[in-house]
Amino acid sequence: MMKERMKDIVDATEAGNSSIGEWMLAREVSRSGRAEEAVRLQMKERLQVMKQAVEKGKANTCESESGLSSGDAFRMNTYVQQGTPLSGTLISDAMLFAMAVSESNARMEVIVATPTAESAGILPGVLLSLAHNHQVSEDALVMGLFSASAIGYVFANHAMISGAAGGCQAEIGSAAVMAAGTIVEIKGGSPAQASDATAIAMKSLLGLVCDPLAGLVEVPCVKRNVIGTSIAFSAADMALAGIQSRIPCDEVIDTMHRIGSSMPSALKETSKGGHAVTPAGQKASAAMAARPCSF
Amino acid sequence: MSFDSCFDIIGPIMVGPSSSHTAGAVSIGRFIYEWLGDVPEWAEITLYGSFADTFQGHGTDKAIVGGLLGMDARSHGIRESQEEAKKKKMNTMLNPMTDVGWRGHPNTAVIKAHLSGQTVIVVEGASIGGGLAEIRSLNNEPVRIAIAADAEIKQIAAGSKNREGRYS
Repeated sequence: MMKERMKDIVDATEAGNSSIGEWMLAREVSRSGRAEEAVRLQMKERLQVMKQAVEKGKANTCESESGLSSGDAFRMNTYVQQGTPLSGTLISDAMLFAMAVSESNARMEVIVATPTAESAGILPGVLLSLAHNHQVSEDALVMGLFSASAIGYVFANHAMISGAAGGCQAEIGSAAVMAAGTIVEIKGGSPAQASDATAIAMKSLLGLVCDPLAGLVEVPCVKRNVIGTSIAFSAADMALAGIQSRIPCDEVIDTMHRIGSSMPSALKETSKGGHAVTPAGQKASAAMAARPCSF
Repeated sequence: MSFDSCFDIIGPIMVGPSSSHTAGAVSIGRFIYEWLGDVPEWAEITLYGSFADTFQGHGTDKAIVGGLLGMDARSHGIRESQEEAKKKKMNTMLNPMTDVGWRGHPNTAVIKAHLSGQTVIVVEGASIGGGLAEIRSLNNEPVRIAIAADAEIKQIAAGSKNREGRYS
């Protein structure tokens, strides 16, 4: 089957008068031969798991296995409940939800990889904050997951979505742009605007390296998930204002691929560069190496 | 790697923290469970590459043991799989092969397991990203058997015995 680019998808939606999400749903039905309702239900189950991960993660202060990440979702929750966060409720809720999911992921709780486990906080953060603050229906959220999957699908096939292959721009980057385009679709923007939001968001994340402490999906991954939500909203707002990306989305994706390919391997999930080799990073590595094996 | 389904991007549903170090690792263990048809009595797990270097923080060992016990990538029990293995009287041995100049896939586990002292299986499995696993050798014969995180591993294991869907 053809691996469509973003322009192919936008053209197809314009010809068929559909959204990107509807296009992806129809594509899945056609490729799998399954009933549309069954495909929708499978996606709906993923939304339910996201909601559970947010609810469990908000209040959980248990430490992760390494002790590198814990309690920050609880702190954020307390802060959001107590005062008026500077970034307003829409973004601060998204930040809180993203942190709850990312901490849960570090704790080996159940999450949905979107597109990876390392970047699993951004999409639920954004979608569930929209549901909470803008009364977006569950059906619209499920359709939003189809929109997000279409955008991720283009990045996965024409660039990369793993930190080992392309650095953090491929993980947090892909997740944030999926969220940006999805926000546009949910708020009634056109597929072309969703494509612009995708391009605008990625341009702010190009070159982001994957440099986790001790190779673990915790520092700086959890907070990058949190920040990724606000990049998604900023890019979506620009696109909804009618601002276009001066560089077409597919050219931005090619740029990401080129940067990811030429990024040194020390900065691609090997823990041999970036934050991983700071004194704090070396301390974390030594602490992990000294842990007794559980066998 | 080629992504075709929307569920390759939104999914899998899995225990964290890493789609390749955790979710893919479960599937390699689960393949052996399905191939044997039961929890092995004994399993020797040898880790290579990034699996050997980072298994502790990623729970790769727990994930493989969970798979050997019949769990899947979304099983809550993976975190406590070693305790479960003790209850089910499965003996495990872990060899992280660091600094051996491994040239295979960076996320590889070679697992030897047996059931009631008779059936022995040796599997080389690689976790190739996004929760996808690939069995690369089965009983010392090169194969390429792809396993998605929500695949019907029972059928895949049965197919590998019938040499269906199996090629070297």
